[in-house]
Amino acid sequence: MYKSYTSLDFREGMIKKRLERIKKIILITSGKGGVGKSTVAATMAALTAKEGMSVGLLDTDVHGPSSAFIFGIRSLPKEDRHGLLPPISNGVKVMSLDLFATGKPIPVSGKGARQIIKELLALTEWGNLDFLIVDTPPGTGDVLLTLINVLGKKAFSIVVTLPTSLSISVVRRTIELLLTSQIPIFGVLENMSYRADVGKSHSQSRGELLALEFGVKFLGELPIDYKASEAIDARDMPSLLKTDFAKTLLTLLEKSKLFNYNKTQKLNDGPIQ
Amino acid sequence: MHELTLVEGIISYILDIVHEKGGHVVSFKVVIGEFAQFDKNLIKDLLLELVKGTELENSKVMVEIEKAVVTCLCCNSKWGMDELLKPLNNDQREMIHFLPELLNSFSRCPNCGKSCFEIEKGRSVRVAEVKLNV
Repeated sequence: MYKSYTSLDFREGMIKKRLERIKKIILITSGKGGVGKSTVAATMAALTAKEGMSVGLLDTDVHGPSSAFIFGIRSLPKEDRHGLLPPISNGVKVMSLDLFATGKPIPVSGKGARQIIKELLALTEWGNLDFLIVDTPPGTGDVLLTLINVLGKKAFSIVVTLPTSLSISVVRRTIELLLTSQIPIFGVLENMSYRADVGKSHSQSRGELLALEFGVKFLGELPIDYKASEAIDARDMPSLLKTDFAKTLLTLLEKSKLFNYNKTQKLNDGPIQ
Repeated sequence: MHELTLVEGIISYILDIVHEKGGHVVSFKVVIGEFAQFDKNLIKDLLLELVKGTELENSKVMVEIEKAVVTCLCCNSKWGMDELLKPLNNDQREMIHFLPELLNSFSRCPNCGKSCFEIEKGRSVRVAEVKLNV
């Protein structure tokens, strides 16, 4: 008896095989634009690499990629027989659409965005990684849904919010989507909570209340740090890592045991619960 | 080399299907979208070479080129690949070879001058059919 199978997306098989070599995938999400997801994702990737772990950063903000800028990367991904090799900066393998679009606008539809994400995941040769950090775009549209579908079994999320009612109202929806999609939330980070040069003046943050509402961990607060902005403007990651912003982020990540947890994990373990 | 990565991915994927469904593969058809800008004969040669020693060795391998059809979502005009790639330089063509959606970054609709394309056909490589004898 003959049976025909049609319209098969072989890239899903390629992606599955590549993911087998990645221990943990962290989606940096928010839903809200302008909360500093890309800065958190890039800084976290560089801090993790500095801790001695192998790290990749995948920038999935199709319409406004910024990782290549933050890392000061101008070179194109190279190609070998295993796929596209992401450029390495400050110990981080970085793959971003901006490496291809070279500063041009990327006005693609939702269907196009889905294709781009699958293509990047299928073609990028990360090798063995301890962490793949995924910078996600604002919103809960095609890109985030594609990432949830394709990476869901191995991914968990760190959710970034601002200490404003507007941000909280948007981020709340994203948390609901992630939880209903069975993406574990490792924790909530509140960005731009206080001025680095002034220090904290409040006791409980709105991000902490949001985390409590969903019964997830609150990782802590990050400062508004003009020195971090200057380092990004200068595309100077080593200087960024010396700022109060990066030092605070490192302290919060260490306190959360994110690094320790993964050092003891084996390949193909499930997501953090 | 991009071609080799994809061909290996195709073969591995079809092998996974046959392992899951059982039986053996009578034939499979690979369609190369025009935007991938791959040589049909090269893809067929790579497929025939890489199936050697696998369960696909005696399967019929078919390779077809699919002409590109692009719709401008702004003015609803339809275009082929050549019309849209003609004004571009080699670097831009190379980027589109990897990620065809970058057409929106580099090309303009010859009718309305905007960049809001959707690729209807001929995007990239796909496995159009796997025929199993189970």
